[in-house]
Amino acid sequence: MKNTRKKIKTWVAGATVLSVMLVSSAFAQTPKLTDPEIASVAVVANQNDIGFADIAKKKSKNADVLKFADMMSADHKSVIDQAVALVTKLKVTPKDNPLSQKLTSDAANTRKMLESKSAKDFDKAYVDNEVAYHKAVIAAVETILVPQAQNAELKALLEKVVPILKMHLSHCEMIQKTIK
Amino acid sequence: MSVAIIKLKSSIYFILLFSISLLSITFFNNCSPDEQKKDSSVPKADTVKKTNEKPTQISYTVEIQGMKFVPEELKAHAGDTVVWINRDMVAHNVTEEVNKTWSSSVLKPDKSWQMIITKSSDYYCNIHTGMKGKIIVE
Repeated sequence: MKNTRKKIKTWVAGATVLSVMLVSSAFAQTPKLTDPEIASVAVVANQNDIGFADIAKKKSKNADVLKFADMMSADHKSVIDQAVALVTKLKVTPKDNPLSQKLTSDAANTRKMLESKSAKDFDKAYVDNEVAYHKAVIAAVETILVPQAQNAELKALLEKVVPILKMHLSHCEMIQKTIK
Repeated sequence: MSVAIIKLKSSIYFILLFSISLLSITFFNNCSPDEQKKDSSVPKADTVKKTNEKPTQISYTVEIQGMKFVPEELKAHAGDTVVWINRDMVAHNVTEEVNKTWSSSVLKPDKSWQMIITKSSDYYCNIHTGMKGKIIVE
């Protein structure tokens, strides 16, 4: 019995580390992006987190996790709405690119991992992923998307997203401390 | 005899009335127009203004931007108005923190909400609980 528990714990820890690695790997290289490609990456990154939140709202029973997931859905949807409004105004069509494709495929793996979790292990897996995901996205926005954006309004929009992501990060780090 | 007394009394009354008239004319001729205004019980125009003036009520603006209330701390007087404007990309609210005695509705981007201040309050956004502000009534 003890051995089985140990094995499960090891597997959970391994899966969590793997998900963090997947999130970070998407942004590992510094690609050259055009504004339409940057717009695509921004939209996909927000959509991914809404997808994770949808799973949390379905699986978690933890009030803090549920409230955080509601916030993720609302905030990331609001960011997408404004990004779409801007690119429509600028007549820019978001363009799929290797980075947005990698983000999409990594997110599919993360969703699979989250869906596979038991109720008991889900909250930790979800919150750990949120911490890793927000760290990776903040770094990508600050070091890739903002510096490479050519259009001033697109650049300004991306800069406005950073404090939102940082607030999300500090919030999920706070929840992370309460979940064992 | 009585006729003489009556004549004497009439003379005295006449002299008295004449003296009073003279004194009055001298007094008013010596007073300047300004002094008459100063002594008047009718207040000057500017005094009326001050008397009827209510304490000035100020309208303050707190901008919600970068996931912060700016300024985070605001000193105001009871009766002043505070307007919160959401300049962020996400929705916020403004809620009294300790007893939840007042709260705005959800403020979507570019929407505002205002309240007349009655007392000091700590407030926060109950969607993003790390966002805090303070009103100090002086």
